Amino acid sequence: MKKQLWSTMMVAVIASLVLAACAAPAPAPVAEPAAAAPATEAPAATEAPAATEAPAATEAPTAVPPTPEPTAYPLADCQAGKVCIRWFVGLGTGTDAAQIAMQEEVVTDYNASQDKIQLILEIVPHSSARDALSTQIASGNGPDLVGPVGWAGSNDFYGQWLDIGPSIKATGFDTSIFDPALIKFYQTEEGQVGLPFAVFPGGIFFVPSLFDEAGLAYPPQKYGEKYELDGKKVDWTWDVVTEIARRLTVDDAGNDASQDGFNSAKIVQVGYVPVWQSLQSVGTFYGGAAKMYSGEKAGSFASTIPDSWKAGFKWYYDGMYGKKPFIATGPLAGSPEFGAGNVFASGKAAMGLTQTWYTCCLGDFIKAGNEWQVGIQPMGADGKVHGRIDADTFRAWKGTKNPTEAFEVMAYLVTTGADKLLPVYGAMPAEARKTQAFFDAKAKDYPKVTKASWDVFVQGLAYPDAPSSEQYLPQSIKASTRLGTFMDLMNNTPDLDFDGEYKKLVDDLNTIYNEK
Amino acid sequence: MLEQLNKLPRLPTLAAFRSLSPLARREMQHGMLFISIWIFGFFAFTFVPMVATLFFSFLNLKITDGILSTPDYAGIENYMRLVKDPLVWSTGATPGSFWVTVRFGLLALPVGIIVPLILALLMNSPHLKGQMLFRTLFYMPYIVPFVAAIYLWGGMLNPETGWINRTLMYFGMAKESVPLWANDESWVYPAYVLMGIWGVGNAMLIMLAGLQGVPTELYDAAKSDGANGWQTFWNVSFPMISPVIFYNVVLSIVGLFQYFQVPLVVNQGTGRPGGHTFFYNLYLYKTFFTYQDMSYGSTQAWFLFLIVLLVTLVLFSTAKYWVHYSGEAR
Repeated sequence: MKKQLWSTMMVAVIASLVLAACAAPAPAPVAEPAAAAPATEAPAATEAPAATEAPAATEAPTAVPPTPEPTAYPLADCQAGKVCIRWFVGLGTGTDAAQIAMQEEVVTDYNASQDKIQLILEIVPHSSARDALSTQIASGNGPDLVGPVGWAGSNDFYGQWLDIGPSIKATGFDTSIFDPALIKFYQTEEGQVGLPFAVFPGGIFFVPSLFDEAGLAYPPQKYGEKYELDGKKVDWTWDVVTEIARRLTVDDAGNDASQDGFNSAKIVQVGYVPVWQSLQSVGTFYGGAAKMYSGEKAGSFASTIPDSWKAGFKWYYDGMYGKKPFIATGPLAGSPEFGAGNVFASGKAAMGLTQTWYTCCLGDFIKAGNEWQVGIQPMGADGKVHGRIDADTFRAWKGTKNPTEAFEVMAYLVTTGADKLLPVYGAMPAEARKTQAFFDAKAKDYPKVTKASWDVFVQGLAYPDAPSSEQYLPQSIKASTRLGTFMDLMNNTPDLDFDGEYKKLVDDLNTIYNEK
Repeated sequence: MLEQLNKLPRLPTLAAFRSLSPLARREMQHGMLFISIWIFGFFAFTFVPMVATLFFSFLNLKITDGILSTPDYAGIENYMRLVKDPLVWSTGATPGSFWVTVRFGLLALPVGIIVPLILALLMNSPHLKGQMLFRTLFYMPYIVPFVAAIYLWGGMLNPETGWINRTLMYFGMAKESVPLWANDESWVYPAYVLMGIWGVGNAMLIMLAGLQGVPTELYDAAKSDGANGWQTFWNVSFPMISPVIFYNVVLSIVGLFQYFQVPLVVNQGTGRPGGHTFFYNLYLYKTFFTYQDMSYGSTQAWFLFLIVLLVTLVLFSTAKYWVHYSGEAR
């Protein structure tokens, strides 16, 4: 009888597990097409996620296909007599199988190179890394090093990063190997929070054949060069970009947006698209880097979005819904005909402003027989180039018990370790002398892209956005969400009361910043 | 309803258990064993989280700058915040998330009940040729994965490239006059309802099963009494399937208060246009998982639970007036 009971029980347990695994979702409520609920935010149809987490690192055409993230990574034991430095990976890229293997190799190399410090790798799946890190920090058991991580990921832990300025001085680390603009890029109110490591400078991707078709000269490829428009040499400004983007926006009858007979209801090609750029990014490119708030603590914070950004937003909106549009609207960008959110890769956009990481996502574009090149970022109304650089690096936790050793390891990772790490992260090296190898690898994926185009990115390193457009904001998640909502509103609303909505945005930001 | 609850089988007391025969006792043990897995799941994944959220709703617990705050006792502060929250009740001209949900429900609920009922009546008609084919066709959309269906609808209703608007423009409608569907305050709810109608196959099937359970002699009697089609439906079919309709109404109302997936995917959860798709459950989701305000999210969840409970109780109290249970004196 007992045996029977246990057999029954085992069958029941197995059956319940199988049933649970195969269970049909609950009946759909009225007015829903089907039942299964996405547990997290679904990808936006028209705007891809912000970029600092570097999709290039995991999605480059040459990259090893992503493998399931590890669930529990075995931590090495700390050897007696050594200072142990924990390196936390997962907040940004670094959790693919190939990346883990290479990170392990770098750890082995480092540990073999000296006898004072032991580097211990800690891999946490990206989906749970934020929670894991916050738990560790809250319990006073934070890691010594975190990374690679972008601005957005690190902003979630604003106030937790170590100022490595004193360590740079104490060790005499040679920062001249980097562009000074990049060193400054990592100077925030928290101090020098990182060293340049993986960078993703910007440029205007363009399709030469569409320019040829319209009889237009290609965008310049050297900063300072003029553009030739209608036989005149002109500065490469946003006004010029707007003009040529209109001429490159075409309806199904072949009219372009600068012509009277143009039918905006039947656009078959757009002139320009900001590729997966946030609202802050649009503002930065157009109006220049700016701090988005003032004040020291809740109660005193105020939005300080500059007027030049507001002008940029208005320009962006009019580019979609003005009389002579040249930017894909939200619905157009989200349609399958225009690449379902990846407009430039659909081959139906003549220009797309974005960063190096976008080389991740042009495989299908090339397979379709298209060619792309890169032009420089335009000048703003003030005559200055307002570039943008997305960047990933390593950060040290300010609660580390071994700041000197943590910095020593950090310095190793951004220099010697970078040789092995950057290729698996798919990132462009911040150290100028190492960039050629990166472009050699990229040239294999995109053989038609010229050296002059790749060189645009190298030149772009001199135009970082400081403060970054992904700077910390008080109540950062809420504030970023509100900014994203305004962008979404612009993308999808014809006849928008722009001034009214902008005022509402600023009012809301002022409220959100000061929430306690 | 309390009467019905009283009729439910109860767990025996220890004394009653001891008085059972050995066979009955073994059966009882096996029964408890089988149900224990479910009970464990219920406690681990439903009851404990529910109690925890109730507890959280009286604290001030949130994640700021990646760090979980030290919880303070907040009393009823979160509930007071909810009562005054403009995002729940209203923000000037923009309706609050609660009223967004109610307004949409007032449109979607009747459609969600009447359409499957009509379809079920059609499917049950002896005059319909190819019944099996139609039943399959109407049920089929229900099994299409949610995200695929949403993208499909997104494509069809795309204001610029969707074939519906393209057709309208082909017949001469100006670009400025065609509906913007999910981007238009006037059209967004009809667009959502349209997407919902596509998935009514399940409700239709349940109602069809109810209709097929109606004894044929009732129809024969109605026929011999000279009842026409409407009279037969109103006096025979409807009362006989009223429990099924009641079941669908209850599930639909609960589902409507939890309405969330469509606005999250179609309008990216932004509330666009003009806050008209900022449903209560979407706000709750954002509070919890985007803004990481655990306490206020818990408060919102408990408010939702209480509202759904209240509406369900009201609905049950009306059942005696219109729901007919065969063989029961009412």
